[in-house]
Amino acid sequence: MKTWLIHHMQALRLVLSRFQKNRLGTLLICLSIGVTLALPSVAYIILDNLNGLVSSVKSESQISVFLTEKHDTALVSGIEKILKQNPAIQNVIFVSKQDALEQLTAIDANKSLLDSLQGNPLPDAFFVEPKMLDATSIESLKNELSKIQGVETVLVDGVWIKRLNSLLFLGKKILIILAGLLGFALIAVIGNTIRMQVLTQSAEIELSRLIGATKSFIRRPFLYVGGLYGLGGGALALMITWVMILFFNQTIKAIANSYQSDFNLHFLSFAEILVVLIISTALGWISAYFSLSSSAKRT
Amino acid sequence: MIVFDNVTKRYPGSIDAISNASFTIEQGELVYVTGHSGAGKSTLLKLMAAIERPTNGTVLINNQNVSKLKEATLPFIRRKFGLVFQDHKLLYDRNCFQNVALPLAINGITGQEAAKRIRAALDKVGLLGREKSMPITLSGGEQQRLAIARAVVSKPSILIADEPTGNLDKNYAEDILALFKAFQQVGVTVIIATHDALGRTDADNQTGHEITHHENKVLHLNQGKLINPTNSEVIV
Ligand SMILES: Nc1ncnc2c1ncn2[C@@H]1O[C@H](COP(=O)(O)OP(=O)(O)O)[C@@H](O)[C@H]1O
Ligand SMILES: [Mg+2]
Repeated sequence: MKTWLIHHMQALRLVLSRFQKNRLGTLLICLSIGVTLALPSVAYIILDNLNGLVSSVKSESQISVFLTEKHDTALVSGIEKILKQNPAIQNVIFVSKQDALEQLTAIDANKSLLDSLQGNPLPDAFFVEPKMLDATSIESLKNELSKIQGVETVLVDGVWIKRLNSLLFLGKKILIILAGLLGFALIAVIGNTIRMQVLTQSAEIELSRLIGATKSFIRRPFLYVGGLYGLGGGALALMITWVMILFFNQTIKAIANSYQSDFNLHFLSFAEILVVLIISTALGWISAYFSLSSSAKRT
Repeated sequence: MIVFDNVTKRYPGSIDAISNASFTIEQGELVYVTGHSGAGKSTLLKLMAAIERPTNGTVLINNQNVSKLKEATLPFIRRKFGLVFQDHKLLYDRNCFQNVALPLAINGITGQEAAKRIRAALDKVGLLGREKSMPITLSGGEQQRLAIARAVVSKPSILIADEPTGNLDKNYAEDILALFKAFQQVGVTVIIATHDALGRTDADNQTGHEITHHENKVLHLNQGKLINPTNSEVIV
C-alpha cells in the first residue's frame, strides 16, 4: 500500500515536472481539448435552459372546441364519443360552462368583471390534445372538428410549444451524437500526443524494462499525462463556456426585456461542473490507455 | 545462485546463439565470460538476468525457474541484478544524479534516502563531484563508471557487466576492473563479459585454463558453445 502510494506520487511529480518543462505545449493541448469540449457544453446549456423555459409555460398545446349555446347532454356525450374515436386525437377533456365560470371566478381579478355580467356567457367546451403537431395535420383536424354537429368554433393554440419541444428533443439527439464524435476526436488527439511522448522516451522505457520496471511503472506517468490533459482541458472548457454564456446573456437580456421576461441562460450547476471535469479526465486517461496499448511493444 | 542446465537460446530466424550450456555460479564468485564477437556472450548475460528466456533447458536464478515464471514477475527477478550494458544505455537528456536515480525510483525509493544512496554510488566510482554534469560531457571512462554507479546503486547481489572495458584504453580498463573486484570483495557476485579475455587477443584458440593469475571462473564461448564447462575454474 505504501509503495503503491509512493509510486503514484512519484509518477505525478515526474509528470508535473515534465509539464513545467514544456508549459507552452501543455497549454496548447489543454486549450484544444478545452475548445472541443466547450462546444457541446454551450449547446447543452442552451438546450437545458430552453427546456426549462418551455416546461415553465403552463398552457399545453391544444385545440379548444366550443359548443353552440343550445344543446342537451346527449349531444355533448355524442360529440365526446366522436372525439374519443378520432385517431388523430391524443386526449380529450370536457369543461362545462359552470366549471369554466367557477375557474374564472376563483381568480380575484376577474370578480368585478364577472359580477357586471348577467348569467353565464361561457360556452361548454372540449379541450383536445392532438397527436400530430405539424401544420397540415392540425389544419385538417381543425376542419374536421368544426364540421361536427353542435360545434360553434374551433381554436388552435399553444401548438408552437409542442413543436419547440420536439425540436428540443431533436436538438438533444444531435447534441449526444456531436458529443460522441468530439469525444472520439479527443481520444485521437490526446492518444497521438502521448504516442509521440512514448517515442521520444523510448530509450528510458527500454532501459527501465531491462532493469526491472513493471509494466505499470512505465505506463503510469503516461496515464497521468492523459488524465491531467483531460482535467486541464475540462477546466478550460468550463471557463470558455462561462465566458460565452456571459456574452450571450448580454443580448438575451435585451430581447427578454422586450417580452417582459427575465429569462437568461444559467451556467452549469456544481454537479454538472463535476461531471464535465470527470468526463474530461476520464477521456484523457482512456486516450492514454489506448495509445499505450497500441504501442504495447514499446511499453 | 545461478544454474544453467542444458540451456539453448535461438533467436527467431537465426542459428543457436547459445547451445546446450550448463554451469553453476555461486554467490560471491567473479566470473569472466569470454569469446570472440558474436560468440553469444551478451546472450548468455541476458539469459542470466532474465531479460531473455531460454528456448530449451532451464535457467535457475535463486532457485526460481525463469522459463516457468509469469511475464509479470520477471521485473522483480531483474531487480536482483545490477547491469552494465555493452552500449551503456545512459540517458543523455538528464544529469548524472538523475541517471543513477532511475533504478531506485523503480524500487520505489525517492527523496533523501535516494539522494544519500546516489551520492554513495557516485562516490564509489569517483564521480561525486560530477552529479550535475550531463553524461555527454563525460569521457568514455567516466561514462562507463557512471553506468557502473547506476548498476550498483540499489545494492544488487549480482553485478553483470557486458564488455565494460571494450572501448577503453589500458589504464582506464584496469581502473574499471579494480572497481569490479572491490565489489566482489564485499560479497557481490560479479560476472564480466569480455571479448579479449583480459588483455589476451587470441582467446579463440585457447581455453580458460591458461588465462590467469586470478582466482576466477571463466566461461569461454565459441559460436554459442561453452568450451570449458563448469569445473574448469580456479587456477591460482
Ligand atoms: N535480438 C537478436 N535477434 C536475433 N539474433 C540475435 C539477437 N541478439 C543476438 N543475436 C545473434 O546471436 C548471436 C550471438 O550474439 P551476442 O550474444 O550478441 O554475441 P556477443 O555478445 O558475444 O558478441 C549472434 O549471431 C547475433 O547475431
Ligand atoms: Mg555482446
